[in-house]
Order: sequence, then structure tokens, then C-alpha cells
Amino acid sequence: MNAENQPSTPSYTITCRMSQEAAALERLCQVVRIRGFKIARMAVESAGEHLDIALTLEGTRPIAMLQAQLLKLHTVAEVVLDQGALARSLRA
Amino acid sequence: MNGAQHILDAFHRHGISTVFGYPGGCIMPLYDALVDDVGTEHVLCRHEQGCALAADGYARASGQLGVCIATSGPGATNLITGVANAHRDSIPMLVITGQVPSGLIGTDAFQETDVLGMTLGIVKHSYLVDSADQLPAIMDEAIDLAQSGRPGPVWIDIPKDVLLASAPVRSCEPQTASATSTNTDISDAMAMLRSARKPLLYSGGGVSLAHAEDNFRAFAEASTLPGVVTLKGIGNSGKHSAHHLGMLGMHGSRAANRAVDECDLLLVIGARLDDRATGKLDTFAPNARTIHIDADAAEINKLRSVDLALQGDLNGILKAMTAELEAAHLAISDWQTQCRTWNTTGGFSAADNEEPLAPITGPAFVRQLSRIAPDDTVIACDVGQHQMWVAQHYQFDHPRHHLSSGGLGTMGFGLPAAIGAQFADRRSTVINVAGDGSFMMNAQELATVRRYNLPLKMIILDNQCLGMVRQQQELFYNNRESQIDLSDNPDFVAMARAFDIPALHIERTDQIRRGIETILAYDGPMLLHVAIAREENVWPIVKPGASNREMIDETKRTAKQNREQVA
Repeated sequence: MNAENQPSTPSYTITCRMSQEAAALERLCQVVRIRGFKIARMAVESAGEHLDIALTLEGTRPIAMLQAQLLKLHTVAEVVLDQGALARSLRA
Repeated sequence: MNGAQHILDAFHRHGISTVFGYPGGCIMPLYDALVDDVGTEHVLCRHEQGCALAADGYARASGQLGVCIATSGPGATNLITGVANAHRDSIPMLVITGQVPSGLIGTDAFQETDVLGMTLGIVKHSYLVDSADQLPAIMDEAIDLAQSGRPGPVWIDIPKDVLLASAPVRSCEPQTASATSTNTDISDAMAMLRSARKPLLYSGGGVSLAHAEDNFRAFAEASTLPGVVTLKGIGNSGKHSAHHLGMLGMHGSRAANRAVDECDLLLVIGARLDDRATGKLDTFAPNARTIHIDADAAEINKLRSVDLALQGDLNGILKAMTAELEAAHLAISDWQTQCRTWNTTGGFSAADNEEPLAPITGPAFVRQLSRIAPDDTVIACDVGQHQMWVAQHYQFDHPRHHLSSGGLGTMGFGLPAAIGAQFADRRSTVINVAGDGSFMMNAQELATVRRYNLPLKMIILDNQCLGMVRQQQELFYNNRESQIDLSDNPDFVAMARAFDIPALHIERTDQIRRGIETILAYDGPMLLHVAIAREENVWPIVKPGASNREMIDETKRTAKQNREQVA
């Protein structure tokens, strides 16, 4: 199978708000990796005691599973899936 | 107060009276504070892995928080297997390690390791403490977090200078467990249950983790549902339930796996549909709608799409469902009769070998042990064939009586876990049932048993090999044995005696009863070495990754036929 025929890996955009703490980003990235997703793009902004993180992720597993796992992290306050990006991804 | 004293203060405020640890350089301020402490019993194990696994066993047996302490570097890395074990089985644990002084972090200092970075995947949460001022609040939060919702280990890494620094005493109110959301759509669940013709109860370790043993028992009795359990759910239904079909899965009973295969509704309570239980997921309970009740929202729909999820505290959900069932019972008598028939013909029915001079078999020994030991005996297993024989043949009356490393499968778990269980209740009967391979992995803890004169009993089922690996090599790798021979084991009786622990050796069937009765009657620690056949297998077995329908049973196939089937 050549590259043109390979189905593209689904891509998702999520935003995440978590507390500033030691190893915050490592903690987030570890969960993303072990739950089967690759980080294609990542932007981080510090907002007072929080970090706002925008992630573009690629992976074949259900994104809802990753959302649920990220929300289990004690310092993660919010995980929002960009539904517009999801729809565009599914149409692609 | 300095940082170290604040830690002990938090122990006192939260009712933590027993901790397991091993001192070293960077944690020395805490050990110095312990000298003047009243109210904390520190148990000195002989290896940090022993500390973590003992804390795990303490938590499993008592339902309370397990605490372990170690120094930086190798102290912390030696804890890791034990903490991972607790993480996989959702055991509430507080881990405290010393770290090199703040100014030396990142300089490759002596005994420095990046503990926070190394342990991210095996903790519920972790902290690197910046200042002593933070310690009281972090201790409170960590202790609460480890025990609330789905429990798990929480690790606090504390630089030595923080342990030594003074911080003001402040008033800290113990936090109450954070509430979990509860979407208890009980009426929908009851409607599904009532419309099912062949509903099956599938329960796991989440029942005891939620301290929901009594409410589960009441629900099971009111529903009269046929039930299966996971390895960690053993004991949920008690030993006298008329509808209990035993453990399901890779080494489950034919009856349990058959019932799962045939049921039209699976009611999953406090279980995560682990691969050792489900086998190949595509063929697991193929005809069943599923209701999943669990404390952890992330477990819902993780491996199997469910028709209804009730997420939250099991106690409230089970109480509500029990009340509904007591008002109107389920009409499932045909299904109950069918399951009872399967249990009669396909339960764990290994016959006791009555020939007095015959060699001892693992199942026969465990069945005798189950008959002789008191009902409230705590059995702490290691990992391997003996673990499965205990799961199959010992009749447990309560889930906290069965301590077994489920998720991680940690060889060496049993002895330190038994030590922890014995500290949870000094008067209870605690027995470590080990294999010869597993026992050698933490045999140094015999010194801990001796030091504290714990009355626990150790039983080694010795087949002079890594039996579970040998079995799978026989069945699935064309009998090509590879690195499983342990025939050069030490003389376990002599080894125990070297630790000033009396020991006994048995090898014939007619010696089983006397051996068990002797160790149980002895007032102090004692070891029973049981020689068993090398070639004995655990039956039935499902090949890893195969469907639970494809159980292999020794009564129907020779090893050669089994190889042909799975090839």
C-alpha cells in the first residue's frame, strides 16, 4: 500500500486547563502517550496559577477515552474537545 | 516544627499509626523526628520493595491507608514495583521519599534520581515539595486523594532541606472525601434487569475498594442473580452463596465462563473488564446487554461499550437497587437452575487425592487448607500457579481475606503483603501461600517476620520451577522449556531456621493435615515447605488472547492434543 492509499490517522484538537505544578506538562504528555495518541502540535500559556494547553493529537483510539483519562489527573481542571476540528477530521 | 515533624503531625491528625520504611541519607531528618515521636509504629523492612508491598498488604487487609517511606535514589527506585502494584490494583497508599537538597536537584548529586519523572505513570498523583510551609496542606491533600474516589498511591518527594526547615504550625482540618458525581439512573437499570431472561452479576475488586462489601452482599442476596467474580472480587459473595459460579477468565471455571457466554445481561459492578477476565473481547458475553457500575468514570466504555452506566459511589447505588429488588423479586428460576447445573458439572472440582502415599497436588493441598483454616484467615498469595490454585479452590468468605496481586502480577508480593496484613490485625490468622520462585523474590523479609515475632504462617508450594511459565511453554511453545528450572533452590527449611523461624517439610498426601494443623497451632511464625510435582498444571486455561470459549481442560486433552489445538 502506498502512502496515498493509507487512511489518514484521525486528528483532534483539545484544550486543557491544569494547575501549575512540578512536572505538569510531563504528567499530561505521559497520559497522552500511554493512551495511544501522538502530539502533533502543542501550545502552552501560563495564566496565573493555571496552564492553558492547546493540543493537536493524532490517534486511532476513541478520543473520549483520552478525555476521561486526562480528567482523572488531579491537577487537570478542564478538557475541551474542539468539536469543529473533530467534524473536519471525520469528513477528511 | 520542622518539615519532618509536620509529616508526623499529619500522621497523627489522620489516624495513621503504622508505617513501613527504610532509612537513608536524605530521609534522615524524618527518622530523627521519629525518635521522639509517640503514636507512630515504624516497621523496618529489609528492602524498600518489601516496605511498599507491606504497606499495600496493610491497606488491602484493613481497608485503610498504607504508608511507606524511603530515601532518595535507590530507596525510591526500590519502592517502584510496590507502588506500581498498588496503582494497578487501586490500593490507597501514601509514599514518602527524601530527595537531595533543593539546590542539588538536577546536578546528578549522590543518590539523586528524578523520582517525580520516573513515577508519573504509576501514581494517582505526586508532589515535589518546594518549602516546609506547603507540607501540612500537601499531606492533608495527599492523604485524602489516595483514599477518595478510585483509590491509588500518592507520592510525596521531599528535599532534605525542606524536611529540616521550620514551618509554622497551622490548624488543618482533615478533609472529607471529595464527592464523586453519581448518575444513578436506578429505574433504567432495574427495567433492564427485569426484562432480562438470563442476567448475570459480574463483580470485581471495586466492591471492597468502595467499602461496599455489605451492600453488595445484600444486593446479591436480594437479586438471587447467578454471579461470577474476577480475581480481585473473590470473596464478594461469601462462601455460602447458592448462586456463585466462581472466578471467570483465563483460569476461571467452565461454569463461570459458560454463564458469561450465555447471559443476555451482564451487570458489571466494580470491575474493569480486564483482559485476563474477558479473554478475546470480541467474543466476550456476545449476547449480553451491559450495565456497568463503577466509581471511575474513565472505566465506563473503556473496553466495552455499555448500554447503561451508573458512575459513583457503589454503596448508594447498591442500596437503591436492593430496595427495588426487595419490593419485587426477579423471575429467573430457569436461568438459576441452568447455572446451578453448570456449576455442578463445570465448577472447580479437582478431586482430593485420597491415596495416603501419593505426592501432594496443589489443588488438593489448597482445598485441605481451606477446610482447616479459620473462616477469617487472611491468605496473601504470590504470583503463579499457586495463586490460581488458591483463587480456584480456597473458599473465601470476604474479599479482604484474599490478598492477591491482580493487575501487575508481582512475584514476591505475598510475604511482605502478609506482613502488612498481620500488622493490620495482630490477632488474625495470616498465611502467605507462595511458590518457590516468588518466595525467593522477597525472602529477606523473613528477617522482618522474626524481628517483630509476627505469628504469620508461610507455605511454599515448591515444584522446583517457574511453574506458570513452564506450563505455558508446554502448552503454547511446543514444550520448549526455557529458563524455568529452579531445582537448585535453597533448602527452605534450613533457610527459615537460619532466621530462627521453625519450619516443617511435607511431601505426601497423608502429611497435609498434620502439616497445616502444626503450623496453625504454633504460637509464632512458622514455615511449611510442601514439595509438589513439577509437571502439574493449572486447569482450565485459556490461551492468552484467545476467547474464553476455548478453554483447555486436562480431563479432555493431553498436552500434545492441546498443542495441536492451539497451533
